[in-house]
Amino acid sequence: MSELPLPAPQHKKDWVLTPRALDQLLSWLDEGSDSHGQRYLEMQRRLVSYFDRKNCATPDELADETLNRVARRLEEEGTIESDTPARYCYIVARFVFMEHLRETHKGDAALNEMQKKSPDYSAAAEVDSKEKFLDCLEQCTGKLEPTNRRIITGYYVGKERVKIENRRALAESLGITMNALSIRACRIREKLEACVRQCADSDK
Amino acid sequence: MGEGSYNKHGLTQYLLGMLPEPEAERFDELSLTDDEFAEALKVAENDLVDAYAQGELAGEAMEQFKAHYLASPLRREKVKFSQAFQAFAEQNPGLASEGIEAESPQKARKRGGWFSGLGAFFAPRHAFQWGLTVAALALLVAGSWLAFENMRLRQQMTQAQVNRDTLLQREQQLQKEIETQRSASSQTEQELARVRDERERLDQELKQARGEAKPTPVAGSIVALILAPPLRGASQLPTITVKPDTSQVAASLQLETAADYPAYRVALIDPARKQTLWRSGTLKPRVRGGRKSIEASFRTDFLKPQNYILEVTGISGSASEVVGDYPFRVVK
Repeated sequence: MSELPLPAPQHKKDWVLTPRALDQLLSWLDEGSDSHGQRYLEMQRRLVSYFDRKNCATPDELADETLNRVARRLEEEGTIESDTPARYCYIVARFVFMEHLRETHKGDAALNEMQKKSPDYSAAAEVDSKEKFLDCLEQCTGKLEPTNRRIITGYYVGKERVKIENRRALAESLGITMNALSIRACRIREKLEACVRQCADSDK
Repeated sequence: MGEGSYNKHGLTQYLLGMLPEPEAERFDELSLTDDEFAEALKVAENDLVDAYAQGELAGEAMEQFKAHYLASPLRREKVKFSQAFQAFAEQNPGLASEGIEAESPQKARKRGGWFSGLGAFFAPRHAFQWGLTVAALALLVAGSWLAFENMRLRQQMTQAQVNRDTLLQREQQLQKEIETQRSASSQTEQELARVRDERERLDQELKQARGEAKPTPVAGSIVALILAPPLRGASQLPTITVKPDTSQVAASLQLETAADYPAYRVALIDPARKQTLWRSGTLKPRVRGGRKSIEASFRTDFLKPQNYILEVTGISGSASEVVGDYPFRVVK
């Protein structure tokens, strides 16, 4: 029995995310709902953090590579059988990470390399950019809605016991639980950080 | 996955790279697949970074933080942010109290000095910036007020223009009414003048007429002629004087007692020419003082100074009979 000749598979590196494939990926991540791309962005953020925690030098690129592979698989197969899209993304991310480790040939060496690349942070970072950061922080905090400003300032100010008491008082004044307050404060902080980062980068 | 499968200490250990590999892999998976875990991890990371920025880490945690956590540029950015934020907050006590205290007028007043604490740290530059900020705010407030005032004045102008136009229309309308009334009044005045002239003219004519005319008895226009039944042998004829203003002759003809007709007719006859000049309609007799009479009137314009006869015919059904001739004389 002779096998039919299969078309030569397109090399992985040559594959590019097309608008159609992106739409398919967004729809698959939404699982029937329409988050207007929010699920995709959230997964992208989580993947970046994941690769960053793994001390990968290029977490953004690895996150994009992970999502591209998922999209390509979706385009090829039409669908993906998995418990959840997030779990499949994690599986792919692990493969991507392992490949990345192989490419760098050394596991912990990557971390060492990063540490070598990074200058003495404690000494260097504060001198140049602290003032700029403060300027940007001032601008971005001023842009927050009054309630969000109240939360971010009340939640993260103070030390140890004082901070804990502050948070309890803030939660009581807002009529929400400490857990809900921590999540809200965290999300506001994310926005504030993004704003400050964008502000600081724009001045470079 | 519930919070029971992880705690803050475990999350911190994970972030510091201190968890055993199997546990770390489990957390890796959860960080991507579990929303609650992902949120809790972010909260724990912020607290860890803040603790480092505030000098609260010590011992192994501090060492691991420096060795593991600060290895990543992204994570160093988080530390930088935390340090800046803490510095920012420390320089501004009002910033912290605003977040904690409940809304109150006092707090609202505090908010007025929101970033005022920063002046102490970066005094020259921030004082200048705050000066600019205050100036900008003042300009903003002034600009807003001017814009509002401008809008208000525009509205007032528009309203005034509308009122002016309305008044102008009303004025024009009233002017027209006045002109109409004036025209009508003028016409009335003219009519009045005309009537007065006419009255004066008539007065003049009347005076002139009165001056020319002689006094005439009111009854002069009608002359009464009472004729008794003709008697045989009577030589003197009844005479009426017909004057120029006499227009009618009212004749009362007394009937013979033998005459007994329900109705009569009268005819005026010129005896010289044996011509009937006038005929009456059917007349009913009247009884006055026990005597019957009929009354008839005729115009005088065909009367001449001469003798005439009023011939009375009694009518009963289809029968008629001359019951008497009443001669009289006209003089002018």
